[in-house]
Amino acid sequence: MRFLILTLFLSSLLFSYQEGDTISQNIQTKLNIKEDKIYIIDFFASWCKSCKKEIPYISKVHQTVDAKQVEIIGIDVDKDIEKAKSFQKELKAKNTLTFRVINDPQNSIVKEFNPIGMPALFYIQNNKVVHTIYGAVDNIDKIILNDLKRLQK
Amino acid sequence: MIKSAMILTSLLLFTGCAITDVQPWEKETLAKDTMTVNAGNSLFTKFENHIYFSKEGSKGGGGVAGGGCGCN
Repeated sequence: MRFLILTLFLSSLLFSYQEGDTISQNIQTKLNIKEDKIYIIDFFASWCKSCKKEIPYISKVHQTVDAKQVEIIGIDVDKDIEKAKSFQKELKAKNTLTFRVINDPQNSIVKEFNPIGMPALFYIQNNKVVHTIYGAVDNIDKIILNDLKRLQK
Repeated sequence: MIKSAMILTSLLLFTGCAITDVQPWEKETLAKDTMTVNAGNSLFTKFENHIYFSKEGSKGGGGVAGGGCGCN
């Protein structure tokens, strides 16, 4: 019984990306990830109020950082593609969504990352997950810039 | 024979109890305003809060952080 519980627990961990894990070839291709940059993957949805609040701050970071060294990719997990598009259009009109967004209506990308909450940020460097942030965080722009400084050392 | 049939039935019933968790990216319906307590009836909420605050002698702490999406 103990073995069964332990196996179930470990298997749940195996199917989500933790810090130090190498991302799959499939994700590298889907997100067009290369080894020469640090990538920040932001999982959001139109119905997630905290994500909506956070996106302008992440866009601010996107406008601050050197695009040759850091790239921010948004993953919209809305199952309704029309909702996703109108949400992004609304944000772009206000100039609060400036980074590249990939729609994931089938949730194939998010299932692989398996975040424990939303919004979720995954930092990827040399095809490895190097840091994660879950949930809405105050002053997220400053936190990301500090994390990037640490990772670029 | 009966014993093994009972065990098999119990096992089948046990598998029928499997409930899959709602993942954080699947909480669209849960994040709707209508999913909150007393949704859409602000007058009732105000009335209920008035009673609660006067009984407790304190105010606040009745809200929920985040958008119902499991964030924080």
